[in-house]
Amino acid sequence: MRQELFITRHRQEWADFTQWLDARAAKPRRARADRNWRGLPDEDVPVAYRRLCQQLALARRRGYSPQLVAQLQALMQRGHNAMYRPPLPHWRRAFEFFLADFPCLVRAEAGVMRASLLLFLLPLLASFVAVQVKPELIHALMSPQQIAQMESMYAVAANKLGRESGTDWMMFGYYIFNNISIGLRTYASGLLAGIGPVLAVAFNGVMIGMVASHLQNAGLGDPFWRFVAAHSAFELSAIVIAGGAGLRLSLALLVPGRRRRVDALVEDGRRGARLCLGVFAMLLMAAFIEAFWSSIGWLPASVKFGVAGALWLLVALWLWRGGKDRNAR
Amino acid sequence: MLDTVREVLTPEGVALRLPAAGPVPRALAWAIDFGIRLSLLTACTMLLGALGKTGMGVYLIALFAVVWLYPIVCEGMFDGQTPGKRALNLRVIASDGAPVGWLASCVRNLMRTVDMLPFGYASGLVSGLADPWGRRLGDLVAGTMVVHVPRVRDAAIITSEAAQPPAQPLLPTEQAAVVAFAERAAQLTPERQIELANLADMATGTHGAEGVQRLFAVAGWLLGKR
Repeated sequence: MRQELFITRHRQEWADFTQWLDARAAKPRRARADRNWRGLPDEDVPVAYRRLCQQLALARRRGYSPQLVAQLQALMQRGHNAMYRPPLPHWRRAFEFFLADFPCLVRAEAGVMRASLLLFLLPLLASFVAVQVKPELIHALMSPQQIAQMESMYAVAANKLGRESGTDWMMFGYYIFNNISIGLRTYASGLLAGIGPVLAVAFNGVMIGMVASHLQNAGLGDPFWRFVAAHSAFELSAIVIAGGAGLRLSLALLVPGRRRRVDALVEDGRRGARLCLGVFAMLLMAAFIEAFWSSIGWLPASVKFGVAGALWLLVALWLWRGGKDRNAR
Repeated sequence: MLDTVREVLTPEGVALRLPAAGPVPRALAWAIDFGIRLSLLTACTMLLGALGKTGMGVYLIALFAVVWLYPIVCEGMFDGQTPGKRALNLRVIASDGAPVGWLASCVRNLMRTVDMLPFGYASGLVSGLADPWGRRLGDLVAGTMVVHVPRVRDAAIITSEAAQPPAQPLLPTEQAAVVAFAERAAQLTPERQIELANLADMATGTHGAEGVQRLFAVAGWLLGKR
């Protein structure tokens, strides 16, 4: 068939398909609500797209002009984008993810999560005990000014716990920027053959252990524990999970098993990113509690520790049981 | 290394051609985005400066959004194009040619942390130069790549209605060249048309302006006009 005849025969189809792409492909939700559409019906689009692909293949095979082939190719590419785009995100789906999918994902990665937990807990306990035994060890990690500043944050007379100056709102912003950045970086640095998450998690452990131990020594244990008890439920578990996600990624790089290394990276990178979404939400929650609840100084210790216990229980239950009924459904 | 076009076979059995973008346009796009981010933050500073410490908190949240969420949200919402990429006609797509999803966009942008090491995207540059399709580490892990958006030209226009067989039989590649000339002629100056038509004198048998008209006629004949 000559090119001219080919074009006249199929021109209308191409025009219809182009019109559909222009009008309905970009905004599918709005398109579905629009009942006045009189062009190519949505249900016929896949057929039209497949015909177009066939015509493109024919055009190439028969050596039609490069311009025509390029035009059909561009049209096909647009069709391909509309056909194979990922599904639209739904709010209900996000809710389901945090409640059920995320805990399932954490349990599915139990191995790296345990490793990450050990990497966090062992340095924490070790440094706590070390500073209890030899109090001067704290100077290895912090300068005298830093220590003084830290002590003044938990001074018994302060009516705001855990901060020297600044309003709740300012600290909320600070926790969001600082803590979530650390969490996300912990995951991403897994690509450095595991050095990143190991260092980040272990260093956090050492730091927290030493600070807690020093404040305990200095007689500021009560305000300190009252401050950290509640938000640590989300914050510490989020650090451990981010570390686990980073370890997963580095394992894909170091021991991909039977998969190609790049396939292993893509697959585990995605799992890690899903974990990171959860970590993000947890740290957001932690920042909120830390900024607006933890700092309240006048509440009696019993209320503070009661709420903290409830939060720890909630997090544990959520991670342990969340999404367990999925398989039953 | 030399051919940066990736060909992906779609389920319909047709090859998609994906022209991979190199480090230079990508760096430029990043620079434009960086400018936009900076100006967003500057605007925030001016607005929130009056609010004291509360404003500082809101500013820090905005800083987080600009640093971490800006590329993810732009790529997720605008079909793989941040404003900088749009300006340079680039697009992020999945390696199989499908549009980039939210999750892949998250992965490739979180991995910037590693690509930036040890300074100024050096790891990303090395990875981009070593990879046949210019992917940085984040792209490798996310399974994505950055491509040039093809420019679509308008419908083919043949200026001549006449049809005439060529002076001697033409090879398929020569036929394609003649037809391509006829379709592109509208974008060329008359002098250039004559220059090109003179090269094809074995098909037309003449020279000059008449050769151009004759070549149009040959193209018409090849396209099926009789």
